[in-house]
Amino acid sequence: MSSYLNTRVSLYSGRLWHAEDFDVLLRASDDEMANTLAERGLLQLAAGFSNPEQPAIGSNDPLSLEQRIIAQTLDETRVLIRPLSGAARNFLIYWTARFEVTNVKTLLRGKMTGERSASLLPRLTPMGSFGRLDHQELTLAEDVSELLRRLEAGPYATIVRQARRAFEQSHDPFHLDAALDRAYYDGLAQRAHSLESCAGPGFRGLMGNLIDRINLVWLLRYRFNYNLPPAQVYFLLVGSRYSLTGARLRELAALGSPEAVLAELPLEWRTRLSGVPDIPGVFSTMDHIAAEHAVKVLRTDAPAITRAFAYLILRERDLRAVRAVLRGRHLGLPVADIRLALQRTPQEVM
Amino acid sequence: MLRAEPLVKIQLLMLASEAPDAALELARFGVFNPGTFNDQSGSLAALPDLLPDSPAALYREAWLEAESRLSKLLEQCGDSRAIEFPSDAAAPSLIDLQELNGWLKEVWTACLACHESDERLQDEKKHLDALEETLSKLERLNVDLAQLLHSNSLLSVNIGSLPANGLKRVSEALSMTSTLVSQFDHIGDQIFAVIAGPRTRQDEVRGLLAQAGWRELAVPEELRTHPQEARNWLESERKQLEEQSGVECKVIGVLRDQFGPRLQEARLRVALARPLAEAALVGVRGKGGLAALAGWVPRRQVHALRTLLDNRFRGRYLLDVREPSPHEAADVPSLVRYPAWLQPFVPLVKSYGVPRYGEFDPALPFALTYLLLFGAMFGDIGHGGVILLLSLLFARKLGRMALVGAAAGVVSMLFGVLYGSIFGYEDILEPVWLSPLHNPVYVLSVAVGFGVGFIVFTLLVNARNKWVAGHRAEAIFDSTGIAGLVFYLGAAAGLASVAGASIVAGIPQNTAWMVAIVGIIVIAGFKWYEATGGLGERILVTAIETLETGINLFSNTLSFMRVAAFSLNHVALALAIFTLAAGLSVAGHWFTIALGNVVIIVLEGGIVAIQALRLMYYEGFSRFFSGDGVEFVPLRLETQAGKH
Repeated sequence: MSSYLNTRVSLYSGRLWHAEDFDVLLRASDDEMANTLAERGLLQLAAGFSNPEQPAIGSNDPLSLEQRIIAQTLDETRVLIRPLSGAARNFLIYWTARFEVTNVKTLLRGKMTGERSASLLPRLTPMGSFGRLDHQELTLAEDVSELLRRLEAGPYATIVRQARRAFEQSHDPFHLDAALDRAYYDGLAQRAHSLESCAGPGFRGLMGNLIDRINLVWLLRYRFNYNLPPAQVYFLLVGSRYSLTGARLRELAALGSPEAVLAELPLEWRTRLSGVPDIPGVFSTMDHIAAEHAVKVLRTDAPAITRAFAYLILRERDLRAVRAVLRGRHLGLPVADIRLALQRTPQEVM
Repeated sequence: MLRAEPLVKIQLLMLASEAPDAALELARFGVFNPGTFNDQSGSLAALPDLLPDSPAALYREAWLEAESRLSKLLEQCGDSRAIEFPSDAAAPSLIDLQELNGWLKEVWTACLACHESDERLQDEKKHLDALEETLSKLERLNVDLAQLLHSNSLLSVNIGSLPANGLKRVSEALSMTSTLVSQFDHIGDQIFAVIAGPRTRQDEVRGLLAQAGWRELAVPEELRTHPQEARNWLESERKQLEEQSGVECKVIGVLRDQFGPRLQEARLRVALARPLAEAALVGVRGKGGLAALAGWVPRRQVHALRTLLDNRFRGRYLLDVREPSPHEAADVPSLVRYPAWLQPFVPLVKSYGVPRYGEFDPALPFALTYLLLFGAMFGDIGHGGVILLLSLLFARKLGRMALVGAAAGVVSMLFGVLYGSIFGYEDILEPVWLSPLHNPVYVLSVAVGFGVGFIVFTLLVNARNKWVAGHRAEAIFDSTGIAGLVFYLGAAAGLASVAGASIVAGIPQNTAWMVAIVGIIVIAGFKWYEATGGLGERILVTAIETLETGINLFSNTLSFMRVAAFSLNHVALALAIFTLAAGLSVAGHWFTIALGNVVIIVLEGGIVAIQALRLMYYEGFSRFFSGDGVEFVPLRLETQAGKH
């Protein structure tokens, strides 16, 4: 089965985008867009341009672009999961659950603002066979409390329980979001831990890059944008066993400025992050470092699950960039601005 | 019974104000399956373009909300009586439905407040229990609580609880504020702890604790000075909670009395609104004062439908009826009517899939073959009798499946008579046919022969299905069509002739092989024609798929050897038990025999039931039954409130 997955990952990795592919996308006319996207394996996005029944991506429906990007990711993940079993399968399935967590957040915000279920429902990302929530039923919850109770009785009870307690104490939506995100990534790190012994150092590197980047960006954001006290910032970060350990994160959270934090990072990151002006820049640079590592992993004979995970990381990076191009075109931005966005693509999927 | 009832597509054009009633009438009619407007043919071909709006979308939205609120309210009230529909009841209009929804929201909000308050009280009670346990531990600690919790000291001390899985993180985070956490109790998923740190950093700690789900224990003043008074204080708190709980119960009771009768009426109106709301899911089109519904009805019911509509709408409608077009064949639902005795087997077929419209329905051959295979593999008068008895005893619990069990038991008994086997004993009755243990080769030959017959049947059915679906080339030339059948029969006869089987004595061996070669050449030619790509790829695809044809057909045939293997296994298992029992005393002997028979019935019976199902699914259904059909789901009036 691993040889099948390895072959599949190798075939898929031929679809990853290079800089010149984005040039082609930037230059393509609207009529050529469907073909250009399809040639690079983005069939879900191409369908948005070729199906006259549906609103064309980039013309009037940015939300459907988001949903199509996720649908594309889910389609490819579904194929990669097929030959897997046990911890590896659980890990990749959980990896897709972050889209469901995004749905949970959308539902909670919708209920906070009293949004109608009919308008809330189309904003939720269809999860297909990965879906474990009954969207229809959840949108019909009367308020946030009822929704949280229902969620707590469902498959994401572990993620939601802590968030509900935090929300009940403060009624602050920020606490809710932060608790959901942290609980999700804690769950991911736990699942990765059980897989690391068989998935090899490449996998640990991929997870390390992911969790360290999340922790660093969250730390900077919570500490210096939201001005939260260091202890609370530390509490909101993901439990980590990678380069930025708990002790290191406590030291960093106690520092007084972003520059001081960056100056205390490991040497490799410090060099790469020198001169980075803001938090999106930090995200972008860290993302770039992670992508370099993922490319290396993809080219090695690492275990199949590790290569599959590396591919998914790179593919999502591509998709974020494609989204930047399509949004830029939709907004009629100059090509130079879109190129600048391509260098940064700071938005996280979650 | 062997294929779906012929359906026609209808498009019903009417006044938009009468759409709820039209949907209601169609639900009462009982055989209308809502469909889409995707096909543009017939006299109302331009309808989708003329009626671009979705007038029932708001109706559905209001219904969904009302239905959800009603379900929750009924859950609280515990009312699950069936609804009685007056014959002249009309469906509510959109405005009525929205008004009803608004009222249900008010009632549910009031009820929710009571419900949440009740939950809070329950939570408080649990908390008091925990507090009682905790305080008894504090007493034993001999700590001066007054001193500890003094609000003017430099030290800020909090006593409370937090989720156990967050303790490590909280401790680490609090260490950054020079605050210590000391756990002194663990109850369920909560830990109880004392948190102590400098009062100057209390604000930092407060935000963190809120995030961590910390719950402060409100230690009363008197407890701080006189811990022995804790019991009295706790008792008074508990009494107070019970009084509050009583008040909440009364509020819910009042709500129930106040709204009960109208709630019954709401149930009726929500149920009457369901048909249009359900139809709106797949498509109700409209514009201005017009609305249209589309769907499927049995061809033989069209006249009855017209009569119904005439009586109800007196000509204020337009009905377009047409046959399904070939390109929408996959969307046409399958309506198959089964006799009562066959219905218990239908779920077993549908767990594999629903037959496409026009496809051969496998329920009848499934039922017959499944029972035959089960009986052949588990032939024993005694064991079959036990299965029959248990099925009858637990008929109420098993529901329709009891009939499957009873039938399997009877067939098992019949084969028991043929094999001369009763509770594994082979020397009590003379076999009417043969004893598998004494004729293993013959039994294996019969099983393979049955497999050949079964596969021939599946190939014929597949060829027929393909022909009906318009895939005539596949029906004739493909490996699962007539060409496959020719190859299979030729090769099977050739192999049987080589093995010296008497059944093919009259057929020259060379003729059989020639037939097989002709069959495989036709298949290869068809695969070549179907394959796309370069020359190399076409050669590869043709070679592999043709080879696969032969391998599949014969490996599937050999699968049927398991029928014989299990019939032998049944006897062998009984022999093993008899051997074990023979060495024991009289009591041990009969105990072993009884226990062994229980094991045979439970373990082997279960395995045989699964194996028979597996043979049907993989050697049978997969050959001719795509299982991707759409089930006919008519609009109906629901007499029970439930989830949509």
